Amino acid sequence: MKIALINGSPKPHRSASGCVLNYLTTLLEQEGHSYVNLSLSRPHVDPQTVHELSQCDAFIFVLPLYVDGLPSHLVSCLMQLEASLAVSGRGQVVYAVVQCGFYEGHHARWALKLLENWCSRTGLCWGYGLGFGGGAMLTAITKVPLGSGPTRSLARALKQIVASLGRGEGGENIFATVDIPRLIYKQAAEMGWRLSARSNGLKVRQLYLGR
Amino acid sequence: MRLIIHDLDQADFHRISAHSPGDQRVVSPGNGSIAHCLGCFGCWVKTPGACVIRDQYGDLGELLAQCKEVTIISRCCYGGFSPFVKNVLDRSISYVLPFFVIKDGVMRHKRRYAKSARLRVWFYGEISEQEMATALGLAQASAVNLWWDLVGVSFFRDAAELEGQML
Repeated sequence: MKIALINGSPKPHRSASGCVLNYLTTLLEQEGHSYVNLSLSRPHVDPQTVHELSQCDAFIFVLPLYVDGLPSHLVSCLMQLEASLAVSGRGQVVYAVVQCGFYEGHHARWALKLLENWCSRTGLCWGYGLGFGGGAMLTAITKVPLGSGPTRSLARALKQIVASLGRGEGGENIFATVDIPRLIYKQAAEMGWRLSARSNGLKVRQLYLGR
Repeated sequence: MRLIIHDLDQADFHRISAHSPGDQRVVSPGNGSIAHCLGCFGCWVKTPGACVIRDQYGDLGELLAQCKEVTIISRCCYGGFSPFVKNVLDRSISYVLPFFVIKDGVMRHKRRYAKSARLRVWFYGEISEQEMATALGLAQASAVNLWWDLVGVSFFRDAAELEGQML
């Protein structure tokens, strides 16, 4: 099978979505699938991307959650793809991973529904999606092998998706989170904001200012 | 103040807003082209409260903080907001803080501003039942995460059907 791995993050580097895609790449190779990496980081889809998608048997979108939904640039892309794939699509099965900075993965449930609805309009077959919480941590633990420590649940979920796409199976959306206690995650994330502020020459109290 | 965020063309919006009373601000494509959020979090850790992209939409968080009521009028796209309206929301995250709080057992962002707002959403377009259910859930989730009170979600077949509605 040939899989389209679609990065829906607007960030070109060091994105949590990119980390998930790296994990997926390894899993797909282990299962003997070929894949193509595609990026939808801007609100326009180039013809080459449409062509590549039409050649694939299944799609996996990986993207960040933005204000409970899809990033706006990705909505633009989906609208363009709706028109293009209605002509060149082959009813491919679509899976998705929506990762978010909140601890609980279920914040991503509406974003997954949006993608499912897009599939209905585009003539594609919705497989299912993963809502993953604690995604902000992924860029800090890239040296941790998938399946170890805080990535145990993520590994289980990604392996389930890869197994399902090999069989062309659908299913219910799944939700998972980074495997550390919520309080520790919260403290680590907030320490990250404070360090970022200081590296930008700000005092921590300035982060709280209403302008 | 009331804020209206919409994606209508000027003529359609004028028809429904001609008799609307009071103090209001409008954010629409007529304000100029909008750059999409880059996910840099600069509005939280570089220029707190303001987007680092300094186009016409760089101070949306501050604008939202001045409102008692927010009305969103959006084409319904797959059960969500249109690219323009979603972009406005994406560019508004400085309205909340990067720090977290647990509310009703779930992680949320802390509020930056003490005031809250009432949210009304009007979706228009050809909308399936599944998309309608998604739109209702999404509007509620967005309101909760932005610390707003959702007071209504309405659906219309097209922009023309909006005419005569009381904004």
